[in-house]
Amino acid sequence: MTYTDIRSDCTLEDASVGSVMEEDTFRAFYERTARGLWVYLARVTGDRQLADDLLQETFYRFLRAAATHDSEAHRRNSLYRVATNLVRDARRRGLTRAHASLTGDDIERLPSGVDAAATERVTDVTRAMSHLKPRERAMLWLAYAEGASHREIADVLGLRPASLKPMLFRARRKLAALLGRAPDEAKP
Amino acid sequence: MKPVECRFEAEALSAVLQSRWPQRVDAPLRAHIAACAICSDVVAVASAIDDARDEMRARAVVPDPGRVWWLAQLRARREAAKAVGHPITVVQAIAFACAVGLLAVCFGASSTWLQSELSWTTAAVAEFKIQPLLPSAKALIAEHSALLLAMAALLFLVPAAVYLAVLRD
Repeated sequence: MTYTDIRSDCTLEDASVGSVMEEDTFRAFYERTARGLWVYLARVTGDRQLADDLLQETFYRFLRAAATHDSEAHRRNSLYRVATNLVRDARRRGLTRAHASLTGDDIERLPSGVDAAATERVTDVTRAMSHLKPRERAMLWLAYAEGASHREIADVLGLRPASLKPMLFRARRKLAALLGRAPDEAKP
Repeated sequence: MKPVECRFEAEALSAVLQSRWPQRVDAPLRAHIAACAICSDVVAVASAIDDARDEMRARAVVPDPGRVWWLAQLRARREAAKAVGHPITVVQAIAFACAVGLLAVCFGASSTWLQSELSWTTAAVAEFKIQPLLPSAKALIAEHSALLLAMAALLFLVPAAVYLAVLRD
């Protein structure tokens, strides 16, 4: 489910929007967001174990904030902002791997018997993304995996929307080059 | 200046995210994407990331929502209990410091020796004569060294105890 899907879901009646979250609402929200958030965390940190820890911490802090949200998209933005801040803190404390040494082996560790082509696709993206800075990974993932708008990405990453466009452009050029479209432009 | 966005970018991205690329995309848009460096980057990057996302999401193992909720409630309760205990510790430390101060005042008020020494010291200081003080100070230190040491220790211990109590919380 992408941000776009979430927006269309908002046309449904959601009694929880605008109020502090109850357990049932939390369960439903968690079901909708946890997998996507875990993948985002794993992708940005490059570490499954850390992604597991940060997932729990993100939901805890999100609940503790007990904030009210105007819409499902707003709520989701808040969740991703909490997660992004936690990744930033983990990086400051040296809990994440340096981007240059990230191989993504942890992320692509998949159960046996899965489709080899699918594994290869994940591996290619993981390897290419490992050459990007964590912020570049985050903005690309939000834009192209979650379908977030520029405003939403800027909000989650704490950037000005105006400065996001050139940053996203550069990150995208870099990743496209790393994925093999123009190898001469790859500058890890 | 090199352009950083294209007006067809959103359309190209939608085509990928809605799994319409490349078969179910209009010919003009397909032709534009082939010719536009920005849109072709968007399609290449979005396609690769979209595939990887679906694979990773399908295999992501996340904890049960009930467990996450329960752990969050437990942790919130523990933190709330800690927060309630915090002012009690501070009040206890302040009460201890007050008690020590009160003891010192009582001692000062009830000790005639201290009173006489204090008035004599005040007079000596007022006259700026330091010489006569020395023998008296020596005597005071010699006779009450243990008491003086205890008072000096208290001066350090009380603030340290308060600091540690606050730090622990």
